[in-house]
Amino acid sequence: MDWTFLATQATVNGLIVGLLYLLMAVGFTLVFGVMRMVNFAHGEFYMLGAFGAYFLVSGAQLPFMAAVAITFAGALAGGALLEWGVLKPFRRDELNGMIATIGLAMILQNLALMFFGPDPLSMPPVAEGVTRLGKAVVPTARLYVVVFACAVLALLYGFLRFSRPGRALRAVVEDMEIAAIQGIRSRLYYPLGFGLGAGLAAVAGALMAPLFSVSPFVGGAPLLKAFIVVILGGLGSIPGAAVAAMLLGLVESYASLLLAGSTADMLIFAIVMAMLVLRPKGLLGRGEA
Amino acid sequence: MKIPHIVLLSSVLAAGGGAQAQDTLTLGALVTLSGAGAAWGQGMKNAAEIAADQVNKAGGLDVGGRKYQVKVVAYDDKYQANEAVTVANRLVFEDKVKYIIGPVGSAPVLAIQPITEKNRVIVMTLGFTAKALSEDKPYTFRPNVTTAEVSQPQIDWLVRTQGIKKVGALFPNDETGQQIAQDLEAAYKKAGAKLPVKEFFERDRVDFVPLLTRMLARGIDAIELDGNSPATAGMIVKQARELGYAGKIVRTGGPATQEIVNVAGKAATQGMFVHTPIDPELPSTKAYMDLYAARYKHSMNGFSPAFYDGANLLFEAMRRAGTVDDTEKVRAELERISGFEGALGRLGWTGKAMYGIDHQLDAPFYVAEVQDGKEVIRARCTVEGCR
Amino acid sequence: MTTLALAARPGGRVGPLGMAGLVLLAALAALPWFSGAFVQHLAVLVCLNAVMVSGLALVARCGQLSLGHAAFVAIGAYASVLAARHWGLSFLPAMLLGALASALVALLLGWAILRLRGVYFVLVTFAFGELLRLALLDGAALTGGANGIAGIGAAQVFGFAFDTRERFYGLALAAALLSLWMLHALFRRPLGHAMDALADNPALAESTGLNVHRIQLLAFVAGCALAAAAGALQSRYIGYVSPESFNTSVSIGFIIMLVIGGRRSVWGPLVGAMVLTPLPELFRGAVQTQHIFYGAALIVILRFLPDGLASLPRRARQLWSRDAA
Repeated sequence: MDWTFLATQATVNGLIVGLLYLLMAVGFTLVFGVMRMVNFAHGEFYMLGAFGAYFLVSGAQLPFMAAVAITFAGALAGGALLEWGVLKPFRRDELNGMIATIGLAMILQNLALMFFGPDPLSMPPVAEGVTRLGKAVVPTARLYVVVFACAVLALLYGFLRFSRPGRALRAVVEDMEIAAIQGIRSRLYYPLGFGLGAGLAAVAGALMAPLFSVSPFVGGAPLLKAFIVVILGGLGSIPGAAVAAMLLGLVESYASLLLAGSTADMLIFAIVMAMLVLRPKGLLGRGEA
Repeated sequence: MKIPHIVLLSSVLAAGGGAQAQDTLTLGALVTLSGAGAAWGQGMKNAAEIAADQVNKAGGLDVGGRKYQVKVVAYDDKYQANEAVTVANRLVFEDKVKYIIGPVGSAPVLAIQPITEKNRVIVMTLGFTAKALSEDKPYTFRPNVTTAEVSQPQIDWLVRTQGIKKVGALFPNDETGQQIAQDLEAAYKKAGAKLPVKEFFERDRVDFVPLLTRMLARGIDAIELDGNSPATAGMIVKQARELGYAGKIVRTGGPATQEIVNVAGKAATQGMFVHTPIDPELPSTKAYMDLYAARYKHSMNGFSPAFYDGANLLFEAMRRAGTVDDTEKVRAELERISGFEGALGRLGWTGKAMYGIDHQLDAPFYVAEVQDGKEVIRARCTVEGCR
Repeated sequence: MTTLALAARPGGRVGPLGMAGLVLLAALAALPWFSGAFVQHLAVLVCLNAVMVSGLALVARCGQLSLGHAAFVAIGAYASVLAARHWGLSFLPAMLLGALASALVALLLGWAILRLRGVYFVLVTFAFGELLRLALLDGAALTGGANGIAGIGAAQVFGFAFDTRERFYGLALAAALLSLWMLHALFRRPLGHAMDALADNPALAESTGLNVHRIQLLAFVAGCALAAAAGALQSRYIGYVSPESFNTSVSIGFIIMLVIGGRRSVWGPLVGAMVLTPLPELFRGAVQTQHIFYGAALIVILRFLPDGLASLPRRARQLWSRDAA
């Protein structure tokens, strides 16, 4: 066994997967930061995004990027509407809000099951073949997703940093009351924050639909990864999520290389529990435990 | 004037009704209709329904001088043992069925057997576990061949004709996966090859690249896909090819070719060797497939014909026993059936050596090569061997 | 606020409405003995679920929500079954051992994590639930892995075997009533009042001298032990255990039962179990509709009736007395 090759391949795998995890997690941490709400329906927005991309590309024959953009817009609007319509009573109520999102997740998943059936559907890939980075092999389709993901994250960064709504959102994350005093209306920013979180989840789903298959059950794994990334990185901290996602990807990749599959899974959960016990704020988080 | 009319009407009705006095025979379907395994569960339920329809169209099931309309009552067990127990309770005690098609999973069948065996309910299950059949479970039968039956002959043939030496495989971390991993390792060893690389993963995993990287680094010349759901198998093929793996891919059990080609594409699946329980050229099989396609819109799962045959075997056993209520007699007749011409071909019971009781259906099966997304049969097999 | 939603009034006397309610309940409880086997099966499940959810209620009364409750049911089930199998323990000692094992795990886990609030606690319990399930799947030599352990014998107490449905229902009913009574007794005592105070405002409670951590730990340990006892009972009834019966969706099911039944009432777990356990049977044909109904019911109850269905009589009384006044 060529260890340098394996190590390089594992590192490349880990970084790519880490970026995918970050994409999955960033919406989740944003929603928690803005609304202090753990959104159990996050995975279902991802799933709806995947279906959106599937139908727009395979059904309506739209180009992939257009499909992703439309899916994002749709999820943003839908998420905002849902927040305003269903979750408004729970805005200050962390625990009950969380349970309400469990209910929301059940509704969304089963609606999808009713309309789309349980069988996985498969989308045509965005690109074929492999790209070689030195000795390591990367499927080109994944490379595309990585590039798009970076673009999305850059756009998000720009929005949060330089645009007025973005800065307002960050202010709300920092301190709700002071933001309100400054004139930022929470009534606007709650739906916006939730909608943005849902939109980001949907974009992640749309981008990854060609890589993995599309079915009403695909939401479980992104939710789990988002949990883990956000716990490790700190609830509400996007830089923390970035660091944690990369670390998670790398740890998983190396662990799969060296340990048996299920042991690697258990290791991750053990690390999460240890992190929560020893340093609940996470690596870079700000919240109180 | 009115009264005679009524008298006339009612006597006509009575006469008509008497001549068509129909009893109902209820067949229970305890199958997975949601989640993983739904494709198999649907296939089984539909098979029972097609068999029931055919019999009803011919005037009803003729047993012991009476005609029975066959009705199928189906419930979802969600692939969970506890749910299966609740459903079994409902079927046996509320709906009072004596014949059950299903369950799909190994854990569910083991969980319901205390109820069904005690109440003498004949069960036709898909459950792959070796523990489902045994001497002290005289009412459980299995109409589909499992890894235990098909793997050895197929693997012998593959090792012999394709020169496979070192095999790697991924399995889901559930009872089917663990059982199949065991069976396959033994089979490859017996055939003179090795299965040194086995990886278990959580059932809803979709990213196999790390596991595949590890596997490919060990220098395998074939990837074995048996034990994985169709969608997962497709993912594995796709990602293995994306990693640049150019070796052989085989699947010695679990019909899934259409789904795998859907996910991985024709190029990636070219040259794959798969197990298939059906020969579409066989007239009886083709007839069943046409029936299925006419009635249901989605493609037929490969296990469906086995359960169609299972239902028909039940009907035949009832006919021979002359009763639908005395399951002891029906069971005895069922066991005696041999040389039955079903959708799969010529059928009989086997399994005594492995399970202690001949309740495993012995049906022919095949090894096919995938060419341009379609199966081309390369070898015909029975439990004895492949040619 | 401590409320015994159904029966009690200030002073602890049971009013006429409460009496009627209790009589109705007694009739309902006796019904399964006169019905078919399937109804008895459902009744057994309702009672067992009531005990498990009562355990969850104990934990929730202190303001913490556990998303890994099914894991403790699993510990009780597996521990008692393995003890009976390998050490020849009879049912009662085995069940006690299961409860003890679960209590020990809860003690260790709780001691480390109970100081976490709200969502963090939920997430840790979720991680623990997954970890346990994976460990059960992997430990094939001991736990039978994914195949589980089959052929578990019926529960026997002093030679009396609970091997028919009717007999087992009696046992399950007794367990449910016992757990209800325990909760009722607890919440009339100072300790129970302390727990409620904790849930409302931990900082204030601590400032009055209550040891928040110790009380929460006690509740957590007791709640998990209760769940484990029910798990041991369940394993004897179904005769089979496997890791998949104790996964996260089961834990979520418990939370749904608790929320819909009522988190602040002793009767909540029973009401939740009664309403939700037989529901799948009504929906057997339409699984997705059933789950959509659950999700919608959860949101509606949280919004309009946050204390669950068990608080309906109290609400009705309040409305009525307001009208009358």
